Amino acid sequence: MSHKGLQGGHYRPLSCEQVESLHAAALSVLEKTGFSYEAGLDETLEMMEEFGMRVDREDSRIYFPREQLMELVSKAPKRVVLYSRDGKNDLYLEDDRVYLGTGGAAIKILDLETGEARHTTLQDLYNLGRLVDQLDNIHFFLRPCIPKDIPEALYDENVFYACLKSTAKHVMAGVNDFDGFHKMMDIASMVAGDLENLKARPFVSVIASFAISPMRLCTHSTRIMLEAVRHQIPVALSCAPMAGVSSPITMAGTLVQTHAEQLAGIAICQMIQPGAAVLYGGIPGRANLWNLGYQGGSVECGMMNAAIHQLADHIKVPNYNSSGLTDAKIPDAQAGWEKAMTTMLAAMGGSNYVHHAAGMLNCMITVAHEQFVIDDEIIGLSCKVLAGIPTDPEHLALDVIDDAARGADFIKS
Amino acid sequence: MSDFVQIAENLAAGNKPRVRELVQLALDQGESAKKILDEGLMKGMGIVGGMMEREEIMIPEVLDVAQFMSHVINEMLKPLLLEGDMNPYGKVVFATVQGDVHDIGKNLVIMMLEGAGFQVIDLGIDVPPETIVESIRENQPNMLGLSALLTTTMPMIKTTIDHVIDSGLRDQIKILVGGAPVDQEFADEVGADGYAPDASSATQLAKSLAN
Ligand code: B12
Repeated sequence: MSHKGLQGGHYRPLSCEQVESLHAAALSVLEKTGFSYEAGLDETLEMMEEFGMRVDREDSRIYFPREQLMELVSKAPKRVVLYSRDGKNDLYLEDDRVYLGTGGAAIKILDLETGEARHTTLQDLYNLGRLVDQLDNIHFFLRPCIPKDIPEALYDENVFYACLKSTAKHVMAGVNDFDGFHKMMDIASMVAGDLENLKARPFVSVIASFAISPMRLCTHSTRIMLEAVRHQIPVALSCAPMAGVSSPITMAGTLVQTHAEQLAGIAICQMIQPGAAVLYGGIPGRANLWNLGYQGGSVECGMMNAAIHQLADHIKVPNYNSSGLTDAKIPDAQAGWEKAMTTMLAAMGGSNYVHHAAGMLNCMITVAHEQFVIDDEIIGLSCKVLAGIPTDPEHLALDVIDDAARGADFIKS
Repeated sequence: MSDFVQIAENLAAGNKPRVRELVQLALDQGESAKKILDEGLMKGMGIVGGMMEREEIMIPEVLDVAQFMSHVINEMLKPLLLEGDMNPYGKVVFATVQGDVHDIGKNLVIMMLEGAGFQVIDLGIDVPPETIVESIRENQPNMLGLSALLTTTMPMIKTTIDHVIDSGLRDQIKILVGGAPVDQEFADEVGADGYAPDASSATQLAKSLAN
């Protein structure tokens, strides 16, 4: 039995007071430090000014007064539904409801025949979609690898086609540009019957890494993010600071910065379309200080990803984050414990849409078929924990105890 | 005769006051600034590079040693050095290619190159080929480092190299490429002079190409 959409929230690393104080700290970061930005965002800057943000063009900096900011943030829906194509795996993202699935854009795969890492292909992507379609505990299919065997300019349409053809679960991916976004829309509309059907039940959604930590707006991804909003396609506002390199080494500092980045992104989307379906996409990460690699398997990542859900929940926006990352290169003991630990913590924290939870190895560079199967188990067991221990009369099993004590046995009863 | 090994080892161990003392002592004994730099401080940074490769020292500590070394050079040796002594391996122009904003790895490579005695001109992220060509014209480096972390921006490495060729500057520089999706095969394909998978090997490679 698949335990999807169960309520988490059993593990809350931050107290209510701590949540309040981190939120307040993030607001003051946005007021005092603000965001820097790249060239090419003139229209967006003008729009932001109309909504009361202060833009210092000399210094290329945007400041967010807290009242206007929170007014906009409050317009974001507290519930986002990401549909599946067949209606069997619709994801109701709200409160502490937990769903977990695949993530990433790996470029290598452990070959099934040789066990060696080789470049991923379009066929691999399709095969992994088929596999995930059959793995009950994996609740959605975020394209886990990219097709290195076709030209880059053809990625977007081929990725979405391969994903939609291989699984009926919800499909999410990044797109390379505007053109790619519209090709995705064409294909998804075709599958839905027409554009209206797609907008009514979006079974595809996109990711935009709109922020470059610390606190900088990326023009290219911000434009894609806003285009998705304009077309009513749900969008995950990814920002992924690495503690020690692109955010403070402390967990609290990394959480404040991540939350500030998210508040800004959510507000900008709501300027375009009040009520736009967005996912709070803060993914607090950590750098391995021996080599600056991504240390997603650390217990701190598990803790911070539970905490970031509390911050998202504080502003009532469903969240997208990560678990199941590791720098292990093969499915070994290290991969096992890091994945189990971070996935369990993210689930118990109540994170709504946890990606990267299946298949990933080697700091997001590699995937492996067997790893998806192992992670399906880890996710299933983590969700089992959320189901808790029922204590109704049937589960109390007093009759069974009585019978057994009188000579019957437990095995048969 | 001064004990340069002592300078190197104390630098690598992060004994800052001792390094200053030893450098002063060597100067007092009449050793040339260049010799102190090459056989003392640079050797020390070399030891640190090795420790980093073997994961015996963390990156923030490497950075700390590198910064300290440049203070010592600037404060105690620079006035006594000739132009060129400071950067025995020459100049490198470095960039993350257009369309790509990843720079953590690039910055780490740059830090190690500087520590090893290269002068690095960092053009930053998302750098168009034209800007890179312009910088080569202006700064006359002997090397160019290009970083890309996305399969979608790897072709921009090729485009950039082609721009360099078209501008007639290819012969005067060696080109190094790197980043997570880049490998030797790709480097050969696009006609780069070298590829390295991490910062320590990038430094070794750069040194070998500089000579
Ligand atoms: C941190 C990170 C980010 C940060 C970047 C922050 C920053 N300031 O750099 C943010 C969040 C902004 C980001 C954004 C995106 N990212 Co990113 N990111 C990463 C991540 C997790 C780590 C990169 C890193 O810093 N590693 C640590 C450093 C130390 O290692 P390194 O960069 O490899 O560098 C070492 C060597 O490669 C070498 N080296 C590097 N450069 C050079 C140059 C030379 C000349 C030489 C010799 C050597 C050399 O030496 C370095 C030091 O040892 C990687 C995963 C990974 N494992 O690489 C994904 C990854 C690169 N990103 C990925 C993606 C998809 C994206 C986005 C497109 C996401 C999206 N959907 O919007 C955007 C793109 C933004 C853009 N236009 O560039 C994918 C790429 C897949 C692909 N198609 O190729 C990866 C592989 C993750 C994944 N599997 O999903 N990302």
